[in-house]
Amino acid sequence: MKEHTPDALARTTRVNLLFDFYESLLTDKQRTILTYYYHDDFSLGEIASEFGISRQAVYDNIKRAEGILESYEEKLSLLARHERLMQMTDQLERDVKAIVTNEWDKQSIIDAIGQFRVAEGTAREGGGSSWQHLKA
Amino acid sequence: MAVRIRLKRMGAHKAPFYRVVVSDSRSPRDGRFIEEIGTYNPVAQPAQVTIDEEKALKWLQTGAQASDTVRDLLSKAGVLKKFHELKLQK
Repeated sequence: MKEHTPDALARTTRVNLLFDFYESLLTDKQRTILTYYYHDDFSLGEIASEFGISRQAVYDNIKRAEGILESYEEKLSLLARHERLMQMTDQLERDVKAIVTNEWDKQSIIDAIGQFRVAEGTAREGGGSSWQHLKA
Repeated sequence: MAVRIRLKRMGAHKAPFYRVVVSDSRSPRDGRFIEEIGTYNPVAQPAQVTIDEEKALKWLQTGAQASDTVRDLLSKAGVLKKFHELKLQK
């Protein structure tokens, strides 16, 4: 249960990322409840009164949906693969910035890395860093 | 009516980013909130947390209930400790 666990934050981050990858494989009801709980941070009690079901039913639904997300990750490893790729890309970018001295070469490699991030879904077209579009 | 401090997910697909917002517990999920008091970016290495301490303390002192995730965040940022110290001084 999210309540009273020491690392609610880590759990939220993990489930939200899994949700990004496997959301379409859940039922509408599971998606709705997970969205309330993890995107909007509503409590079990608040969700229960919103849908007119018991707190226990909300809890069971969330646990079941989380289990389904984790079982997809176990089989497909899309999130683990994505995180590894993003770490490697960041490392590559740092190395290019440190090592490549020709500015023109450096820029074209960094642009290519940006394209890769767009393809992986963590940056938008034309965005320099994966966070640039959020700061605007 | 209860006031809650929650995390609100923003950011792109596969790149979550959160705002720490103060909202009415009755307000629906339409994005309306009273005030934004911080942000949390779990994707950055290491994760980045910004909290407007003054605002956070003000809301906690007026009885706003923080969700578990926000409490986690506030305790990591040292805000909860300050809140308890202030409480003891009274």
